[in-house]
Amino acid sequence: MTKTRWIILVIVIAAGFVLGRLAVRAVLDMLLGGTLFGGNLL
Amino acid sequence: MRRGAFITLSIVLFLGSFAAGIASKNIKSAEMKKYSVSWSDDLGTLQKDLSYGDGKSQKFDLYLPKDDSKESYGLAVYLHAGGFTSGDKSGDEQMLSWLCSKGYVAAGINYTLRTDTNTASVLTQSDEIKEAIPKVIEAAKEAGYPIDKMTIAGGSAGHALAMIYAYRDGKDAPVPVVLTFGAVGPSSFYAEDWGIFGAGTETEKQRTVAASLFSVMSGEQITPEEIEDGSYLEKVKPIAAAEWVSNNPVPTVVAYGACDKVQPFAASKRLKAALEENNVDYQYFELPHSGHGLQNDDAISLKWIQTVDAYLDKYMPVK
Repeated sequence: MTKTRWIILVIVIAAGFVLGRLAVRAVLDMLLGGTLFGGNLL
Repeated sequence: MRRGAFITLSIVLFLGSFAAGIASKNIKSAEMKKYSVSWSDDLGTLQKDLSYGDGKSQKFDLYLPKDDSKESYGLAVYLHAGGFTSGDKSGDEQMLSWLCSKGYVAAGINYTLRTDTNTASVLTQSDEIKEAIPKVIEAAKEAGYPIDKMTIAGGSAGHALAMIYAYRDGKDAPVPVVLTFGAVGPSSFYAEDWGIFGAGTETEKQRTVAASLFSVMSGEQITPEEIEDGSYLEKVKPIAAAEWVSNNPVPTVVAYGACDKVQPFAASKRLKAALEENNVDYQYFELPHSGHGLQNDDAISLKWIQTVDAYLDKYMPVK
């Protein structure tokens, strides 16, 4: 696999992880109240 | 690798890391883990579903510490959350185990939940807790753990009931109530604070919503007219813990989310004012980015539970 593809995979994994955490936070904020950003980031 | 296979691999890895991100939100910090203890027989003895009345829900669990050689023990009661309509004492096993691991007799008490087919209210639930406490203390004594003081705590609805007991009923308790702690419990019922449910005093619709909501919670028939002229406040007083602080100003540790959509943050400000006015030794933690789950301010949540720990050591030291 080329170096470019490795970099793409790392970005995809990082983005998935961050978006997963953000999704939980967004759902909880919608149900319970809260700010999407601020406090303990993500 | 072919382009199609690479795209498939990317999608799989994205979904896997997305799931890992979701799962990681549930991982507690090492410092926070200290306060969530899993029950084991090494901690002591757990007596489940002891009755304090004839009602189906009128049961409590008693967590008795391993060391049964002391002359007396502090009792730590923790009441479960659930909006007065759901929840169970078993949901607080980790908190109760932590309290027991500190050397206290810990108790989780159930109360009759409000349903579509009964008339349970915050008032009847608070009266059940009042009825239960002497039975809990008696059961501890019978098990060989005499109680000489107590703290009462809870989460959300349980926190509201805990504060009502501490401030309203604490003077009648069989042993001194030396501390109350908890999080996100509603402590006052001013219609203008409850806008998150559409309640208020300005319009007829707001007053109707307020009358309906407060009637259910207080177990009293409240009309929109009473919301308008303010006379409803006497009817909700029995369930408004903040109104009773002067009656029994117990040391207090509380936490509230500034963005709470389940119980109004404004109501907690009234509690804070009452604690201040009555010179109570209190700690009030405001979580500016969090709602009812105190979910977005981990550092302050940790500080809250550490303060609870310190106040327990101060007001109910284990001898």
